[in-house]
Amino acid sequence: MVSNNTAALGVIFANTYDNLVPELVTERTMASIPFGGRYRMIDFVLSSMANSGIDNVSIIVRKNYHSLMDHLGAGREWDLTRKRGGLNVFPPYAERSVKVYSGRVDALDSILSWIGTQKEKYVVLSDTCIAYNIDFNKLIEEHIASGADVTMVYNRAEIPEGARNDNYTIQIKDGRVTELLSNDYRPGPQNLAMNIYVLERETLIQLIRDASVRGLVYFERDILARNLSLLNVHAYEYTGYAARIADMKSYFDENMRLLEGDNVDALFDPANPIYTKIRDDNPTRYIEGSRVKNSLLADGCVIEGTVENSVLFRGCQVKKGAVVKNCVLMQDSVVESGSSVEYVVTDKNVHITADKQLTGTESFPVFVAKNHTV
Amino acid sequence: MAKEMIAMILAGGQGSRLYALTQKLAKPAVPFGGKYRIIDFPLSNCVNSDIDTVGILTQYQPLVLNEYVGNGQPWDLDRLHGGVHVLPPYQQASGSDWYKGTANAIYQNISFIDRYDPKYVIILSGDQICKQDYSDFLRFHKEKDAEFSVAVMEVPWSEASRFGLMVTDENDRISEFQEKPKEPKSNLASMGIYIFNWDVLKAYLIADEADPNSENDFGKNVIPALLRDGRRMYAYRFNGYWKDVGTITSLWQANMEVLDPSHSGINLFDESWKIYSRNTGNPCQKIGSDADIVNSMITEGCKVNGTVKDSILFPGVVVEKGATVEAAVVMGGTVIKAGASVKHCIVAENVTIEEGATVGAMPEGGLDIANPGDVATVGSDVRIGKGATVGPKAMVSNDVKDGEEQW
Repeated sequence: MVSNNTAALGVIFANTYDNLVPELVTERTMASIPFGGRYRMIDFVLSSMANSGIDNVSIIVRKNYHSLMDHLGAGREWDLTRKRGGLNVFPPYAERSVKVYSGRVDALDSILSWIGTQKEKYVVLSDTCIAYNIDFNKLIEEHIASGADVTMVYNRAEIPEGARNDNYTIQIKDGRVTELLSNDYRPGPQNLAMNIYVLERETLIQLIRDASVRGLVYFERDILARNLSLLNVHAYEYTGYAARIADMKSYFDENMRLLEGDNVDALFDPANPIYTKIRDDNPTRYIEGSRVKNSLLADGCVIEGTVENSVLFRGCQVKKGAVVKNCVLMQDSVVESGSSVEYVVTDKNVHITADKQLTGTESFPVFVAKNHTV
Repeated sequence: MAKEMIAMILAGGQGSRLYALTQKLAKPAVPFGGKYRIIDFPLSNCVNSDIDTVGILTQYQPLVLNEYVGNGQPWDLDRLHGGVHVLPPYQQASGSDWYKGTANAIYQNISFIDRYDPKYVIILSGDQICKQDYSDFLRFHKEKDAEFSVAVMEVPWSEASRFGLMVTDENDRISEFQEKPKEPKSNLASMGIYIFNWDVLKAYLIADEADPNSENDFGKNVIPALLRDGRRMYAYRFNGYWKDVGTITSLWQANMEVLDPSHSGINLFDESWKIYSRNTGNPCQKIGSDADIVNSMITEGCKVNGTVKDSILFPGVVVEKGATVEAAVVMGGTVIKAGASVKHCIVAENVTIEEGATVGAMPEGGLDIANPGDVATVGSDVRIGKGATVGPKAMVSNDVKDGEEQW
C-alpha cells in the first residue's frame, strides 16, 4: 500500500496455547505445527499480513523455537526479506531467562523499546493457533472508522472442547464490546475471540507500560476486561474460514475438515495465497495399483497403496498393499507394505514397518511422535 | 574476482516446431514434467555442478522467461557476484542487432563474459531435457588440456546421418566434423554443449564476426574454423538421458518417459541431483471420492475427481467427475469438465475443455511411447466448446465452438 497513514506493524506470539497440544510441541512451537498438508500454523497469519501489505513483522518466541527459525529463514517465502522492516524474531533476552514471560503483556514489555522506535501508526497482534485468511486492511479501516481504542476480532463458533479453560467470548452492543468473558463453556456458537487485535502503536505502549508497572500479565483479562467502560473496544467479525487448534482432537478434526466441500478454496483463497517454505519436491506419483479417494496430498509423495479420507504432507510414502484411512501423515512418513493405519496422526518422519496394524478411533486418533518407528 | 567457468545458455530459439505451445512464450519456458520448465534443467545442472554465474540469451517472446527466471533465487542463483542474468540483444554505440546466430549471440555478450574473467565458458542449450554434471565435463576438458570440448552421445549408426557427428581418434581428439552426412564416419552425435577456453573462443568470435560470409553459427562456422586451425578439440562422451524436445512428439515422449524412470533413464526423483523450479504457491492437491488415478504424476493445486491414467498434470489442473484423461500432458491451470475425454495429447496452460468435449484419441494399438503416432495439441488459453471434438492429428490454437469438430 502506498498510502502510509494506515501502515501497521505486525506482532505475532509464537508460543501461546502451546499447552493445549503438548504432543505436538515437544520439539516445536504452536507456530510451527504442521497443518493442511504443507503448511505451518504461522504461515496463515504471516501470509495474511504479507497479502495486506504489512511488511514489518515481529515474532515473539519463548521456547522450542528451533523448528520455527528453520521454517522462517530470512522470511523470503512471505516476501519479508526487507531492508526496511521485514521479519524480526525476538527470543527471550538472556537476563530475562530466569523468568521467561508468561503472558502477552510480559512478552510485549520485553520488546517495548523496539516497538517505540518503529514508524507505523498501528499495530496488529495475533496468535498462531488459528489457521485463517484475513484481509488486515479491512480490519484496520474499520478500526479507524469506529474511532475505537482497540479492535478485537471474533468469529461465530462453538467453543472447542479443548479450549474450555482457555478462551474469551464477548458481548457486543452497537459494535462495541460490553463484556469479555473468560473460559466460557456455553454450548452453541458464541462470539469467540480470535486473539487478533489492532490498536495504535502509541496506545499499545501506554497500555503495556501501565500494566507492567502494576504487575499485570494478561492482555485480555487484566487490560481489556477490566477497562471496558473506559476503553472503547470495538468488535470485528471475521466471517472467513477458521481452523482452531485447541487440542489433539481438534488438530485431527481440522485437518479432516479441509477434505469437505470447498473448504480448501475457502482457506487457500487463490487471490490471497498462503505461502510456506519451499522444499522443491517432485510432483506426487501414483504408481500402478494405487487407490486414492477423498484426500489431500502435498508434493513429493509416492503412492502405491490405498489412501482414503486422509491428509498427506510432503514426501510421504504409502507402499504396495498398505492402507491409510482417516489419517494425518506429516512429512516424510512411510507406511510399508501390508500395513494398515486408521485414525492415526503421525508426526514428521515416522516409519510404520511392514504388516503392522495401527487403529485409533474418530474421538481418539492414535498419535505417533516424530522420528518414531512402529 | 575471476570465475573458473561461467555458463551461457542459448535460449533464443522460437521453437517453431512446437507451434501452438510457443505462440506466447520462448521454447525454454515451455512447461515440462509436472512442475518444471525446460530452462530448469540447464539452470539446475549449473547449480548442482557449482557453476554460479549464468547468462541466458533470449530474443523471442522473453516475457514469460524473464519473469520466470527473475532474480534466480529458486536455483540459488541470486549471488553477490555472478548469479543469473537474462541477456536480450541491446543497442550499442556501434548500432543494434538481433542475435544473428548462436555464435553472434555470444559475440554480442563478450563484455558480459569479460566481467567475470573466466578461464572456461560452457555453452548450453535451453531446449534440451538432460541431467548432466558439467563439473565432470570440465574435469575431462582439463585432463585433455583441450581448447574446445563437445559433449557427444553415441547414437545408433542407422540414425547417425540425422546428427552433427564428431569423428575422433583413440584419444577422443576430434579430427573431423560432419554435419548430417549421407555417409557417417562416426556415431558420436554433438549435443550442442561445448566447453571453450575463453581466450580461444573470444578470438574466434571476433574473427567470425569480421567474416561477412559467416552465418555466425557454432556448428556451421566456429567449430569448422577451429578444426581448420588444428586446435586441440576433444569429444566428451555422455551416456545419461538426453532429449531435444523440439517437436510436439518428442516433448510428449519425454514427459511420458518421466513416468517410467526405470526404463527411460530420466529420473527426476533423484535427491542428489534435484531439479529446482519456481514455486506456484498452490495448496495441496485434492483427490475426490470419485477419482481413479493410475500411473500418473499430479502436483499442487490440482483437483481431481475423474479418471487419470498414464498422465502428467501440472499445477492447478482440474479434472471433474466423469472426465477421462489418458496418456496426456496437461499444463497448469487447465480445466477439464465433466464427461470430457482428453487422450494422447498435450494441452497447454489455462485451457478450458467443456463438458463432453473430446481431445485426441488413443492410437489403435494402444500406448506405445517409442512410436506414438499422432499427438493432438491444444494451445494456451483456448476454450474447447461443449461436445466439440479435436481430432488426434489436430493442433488447435483458437477456440473451438460448441459441437464443432477439428481434425
